[in-house]
Amino acid sequence: MSSINDRPLSRRTALKFGLGATAMPFLAGSLSGCQGASTSGGGDFTFISTQFTPIEEKQRYEKILSTHVKDFKIAYNSMTAGEVVTQVSAQVKANKVSIGLVGGLHGDLATLADNLEDLDTVKSQLSSAGISDDLWSLATLGGSTVKYIPWMQATYVVAAHKSTLAYLPSGADQNKLTYDQYLQWAINARKATGKAVFGFPAGPKGLYHRFFQGFLLPSFTGGQVTGFASADAITAWKYMKELWANMNPASTNYDNLQEPMARGEVLVGWDHVARLVNAPKDKPDDWVMLPSPTGPKGQGYMLVVAGFGVPRGADLDKATKVMTSLSQLPAQAETLRQNAFFPVVKGDLPTDLPPAVSLEAKAVGAQQNASNAIIAVTPVGLGKRDGEVSQVYKDCFAQICKDGKEPAAVLGAQAKVLQGILDQAKVPCWAPDKAVAGQTCSVA
Amino acid sequence: MSTLAPSRTEQSDDVPVDLRPLRRLKRNRLLLQLACVAVSLFMVVPFYLIAVAAFSSPAAMNEFPLRFLPTAFSVETMSTFLSSTGVGAGLINSLIVAVGTLALSLVVGAPAGYAIARYVFKGRDQYQLFLLFTRALPIVVLSVPLAELFLNVGMYDTPLAVVLLHTALTLPTTILVTASVFLAVPVDVEEAARIFGCGPLGAFGRVVLPLALPGISAASIFTFVLSWNEVLGATILTLNQRTLPATVLSSLSDSPLTFRFAGGFFLIVPALIFIAVMRKYLINMWGTTIR
Repeated sequence: MSSINDRPLSRRTALKFGLGATAMPFLAGSLSGCQGASTSGGGDFTFISTQFTPIEEKQRYEKILSTHVKDFKIAYNSMTAGEVVTQVSAQVKANKVSIGLVGGLHGDLATLADNLEDLDTVKSQLSSAGISDDLWSLATLGGSTVKYIPWMQATYVVAAHKSTLAYLPSGADQNKLTYDQYLQWAINARKATGKAVFGFPAGPKGLYHRFFQGFLLPSFTGGQVTGFASADAITAWKYMKELWANMNPASTNYDNLQEPMARGEVLVGWDHVARLVNAPKDKPDDWVMLPSPTGPKGQGYMLVVAGFGVPRGADLDKATKVMTSLSQLPAQAETLRQNAFFPVVKGDLPTDLPPAVSLEAKAVGAQQNASNAIIAVTPVGLGKRDGEVSQVYKDCFAQICKDGKEPAAVLGAQAKVLQGILDQAKVPCWAPDKAVAGQTCSVA
Repeated sequence: MSTLAPSRTEQSDDVPVDLRPLRRLKRNRLLLQLACVAVSLFMVVPFYLIAVAAFSSPAAMNEFPLRFLPTAFSVETMSTFLSSTGVGAGLINSLIVAVGTLALSLVVGAPAGYAIARYVFKGRDQYQLFLLFTRALPIVVLSVPLAELFLNVGMYDTPLAVVLLHTALTLPTTILVTASVFLAVPVDVEEAARIFGCGPLGAFGRVVLPLALPGISAASIFTFVLSWNEVLGATILTLNQRTLPATVLSSLSDSPLTFRFAGGFFLIVPALIFIAVMRKYLINMWGTTIR
């Protein structure tokens, strides 16, 4: 061994040393663990959210945050609902909270309810903003205190290419369609064009279950859970079966409708406003946005509410500053202009909206102000079981519309599944069903 | 070939030459080439399509049928993707994590593999099987406790946390691959080194390691690619210092089609470069083991 040490340093050895020396900072950096680069813009306040995940939406919202929250820089992280739950609950459990603010849909925040601070003080600070009482009562998540501050809202409407308006049944008012007229429209369009041009976001990540929960069933039965297997519900699902038969069968691949609409595969369809807004973006003159149809019991529509929550143990003062800044009308209007989510605060919408957004604003306004409107919300207080309830509606669709099973039998079986979930969760009903505190919601 | 020419003239003299073996040879060569081309196409075509889509304008992606040739070249999508927050930083983090995982798993895994290959000890087979259990346990079930643990230790949201997790995930493959590589190195050469005056470490470092290097590089490709592609663990353990896939994956899946292709292209390229660099060691390995 000693002879090796006597050997003068060879060129190869020297090169190896050089390589090692270059790699050292890398290794040292990774091993010391503090040298990672920030992937969220290096802000000093962490805001995680399930909203605005698409790249461009996220970029636009980061700009809104930097212009409307002046005091400090916000690191905005958008991630899936599951990741948000893991991150927040792990941090709260470990009592080392570095997340300043959590943004999410009502259902996302409901899952986290136990990990969120009570925000009644923030509510009183925002008393002049004009956030409606309906939203505040949703924000309690079934408890007695406010768990989140309403952030923005959205709903679902129908987008239609102008060329299809010719196939509307005679005498139909496009802004006051009934479900029967909507079906007739689909049949006429299919017969005239030779292909099914109506689409439905029934893909694996599509939001089609919201159509049953918030639109079809409330319009036909007046309820979402109540009357789940009633005669009215059977009529509704029979209707759905017929409508589905006249829709583009590729709909089971559509997670959203904006892309099939841009490709020209789908010319009429119902979807979330933040998705549909991208369809007419390039050619707004070719498209119209319509309120959702009306059924025998009224015009059911679902309100999508997103809110801010503060994880237990986070810096409440800082979070309050961010929440109040983002609840000002300018920030809210900018969110509508850029990302098509509607304000929760009172005030006039800006007049300089992009064409696609202003089309939507009209349809949303017509939907909200209809005299026979039936407001539905996403399930309240179910927390983690929210997805299971949605699955019940998806299963009904799969079995009745796709497999062609008898609606009455399917609904009877699924009603038992739904009731089982409700009994275990012990939650009262939610809109449009009447909520009675302390009384578990029933499908009957 | 020169012998063929006279044979053709003799053909008239009623001595037919059997050309069938030659034809068969040519046909087999052609088939072999075709098979090679088919396999290469199988690998290259998806990559080509991703590249074409990544550099197409969004409008071109809505046309039907999609074009096979890059006629609507545009870097618009790619530049929007690259300018979005966290892509550059994510790339740096991913490299730190992948290289760190590589180093750590080799430092720990190669000696373990050597021990399995060279020493007979009680419970060796069970130990080898037990190693794979790490991979049998889904991270999803561990997510919250895992994050909690790293939070309590104070390593949460650092690349080191991800390096440790990835090392734990890659160790089974590293150990098993290196063990089989060390098995292929004859004990004789190691003993010879000992006889000529090397200590155990010296024999390992000067004789066994160089011979096993190709196999170790193969193991390192596995490690690198696994760490590069791992998302779930990275998303659980980090928040503001994420690896590239963890930063962009959830937003890509909700983004328009062109962004998905741009992101996919950007995620593939570094792994391809790494594999290209490691390639020559791999071929070397096949050279030594096929002897």
